[in-house]
Amino acid sequence: MEKKSCYVCGKEALSKNEIGLTKKLLDKNSKRFYCLDCLAEYLEVDTAFLLAKVEEFKEQGCKLF
Amino acid sequence: MIYADNAATTKISDLALEKMLPFLREQYGNASSQYLLGTRAKRAVEQARRQISAAIWAKPPEIIFTSGGSESNNWVLHNVADSYRGQAIHVITSSIEHHSVLNACQALEATGAELTYLPVDNYGRVAVDDVKKAVKANTRLVTLMLANNEIGTIQPISEIGRFLYESGILFHTDAVQAVGHIPVNVNDLHVDFLTASAHKFNGAKGTGILYKKSGLKLLPLIFGGAQEQGLRAGTENVAGIVAAGYALEESIATMGETTERLKTMIDATVNGIRKRVPCVKANGDPKNRLPGTINLRFDGVSGESLMHLLDLKGICISTSSACTSGNDEPSHVLLASGLTEKQAKESIRISYGRHNTLEEANIVAIAVSEAYNKINSVT
Repeated sequence: MEKKSCYVCGKEALSKNEIGLTKKLLDKNSKRFYCLDCLAEYLEVDTAFLLAKVEEFKEQGCKLF
Repeated sequence: MIYADNAATTKISDLALEKMLPFLREQYGNASSQYLLGTRAKRAVEQARRQISAAIWAKPPEIIFTSGGSESNNWVLHNVADSYRGQAIHVITSSIEHHSVLNACQALEATGAELTYLPVDNYGRVAVDDVKKAVKANTRLVTLMLANNEIGTIQPISEIGRFLYESGILFHTDAVQAVGHIPVNVNDLHVDFLTASAHKFNGAKGTGILYKKSGLKLLPLIFGGAQEQGLRAGTENVAGIVAAGYALEESIATMGETTERLKTMIDATVNGIRKRVPCVKANGDPKNRLPGTINLRFDGVSGESLMHLLDLKGICISTSSACTSGNDEPSHVLLASGLTEKQAKESIRISYGRHNTLEEANIVAIAVSEAYNKINSVT
């Protein structure tokens, strides 16, 4: 699978969770991806909150994570 | 937190909670018991039956308590199937019913019944003429919802009911979204069966209502004791039933004022969003709809993403195509109303209730607009 980098800071090799969060929260077909820190800053929430959301989505069976 | 998903469920009213609590604590008697603790519970159940029957202009014996709207809907459909077992029957419904009706209809089809799923127009309305045209010699039941849970569209139930009454065909309406929110009079609607659910009108979860017109045959759902006229055996959910009675009575008493407040809140939200996001469109009927429910569409932005971004800000709204297990099927209601799959997935539902405020409605407008802009700027 092609490695994704952060659209804002350039962090390379984004994790599956980071890619999944971008798709889940912004756009399933997004061509731009965010690392956890940059996504948290963009959405004005803290990273711990986003990580908790990842666990929620996994519990729901979302296949993006 | 701002809760703007009252079509999904509502916060229990203070009065309903206060009235139900004694039946979970000191007044915990079984309503079938003959001593004081039991007879008090029985009296409370019968008082709730009177409160609910008065709210929908029915008679107390016409009210049967169930576990919820889905049970009531299923019961009516199974009753028709079982009453005409072995006969070729025809049932009419619409393509935008709640899944507790649609899936029960499909179960009926599997047993050999013929089903007609009526289409709706772009506002989500069933045409009275379509009902008339669909009726056959063996039509035994028509089941149509009074108000839709996703778009809030109110159906012309009274007009359809009048026609069906004259035709001698049983008529059931799923009024789960309507009871406690708009005036409901079973006589004006000309319905034989009506479904309601307490948690949709600030009662407790786990209590449903089935109205059955006097004199009509209804086969038992659960065999056992003599509860609910021997039709639905099992110890009554006394606390939930008591809460339902008070919650509905309270909803009816405050309906006029609540309706005006809800309309003001919906207008504030829609106008506030439209000012910031001119491309927003409203799904459903602009006139004949529930006062507190609005379904909005945002070109190019996923409704699910909007819902999640609002959730991050502590605002609860809903989308009918949320992906929970990799399956994000678009809403059958929006598709039936003429939207494309893409458009259906770009829609959200905001539904206010009596506990919401105008200030919250304005905050929701700003939050939805900001969420839209955040998503739109990366897509």
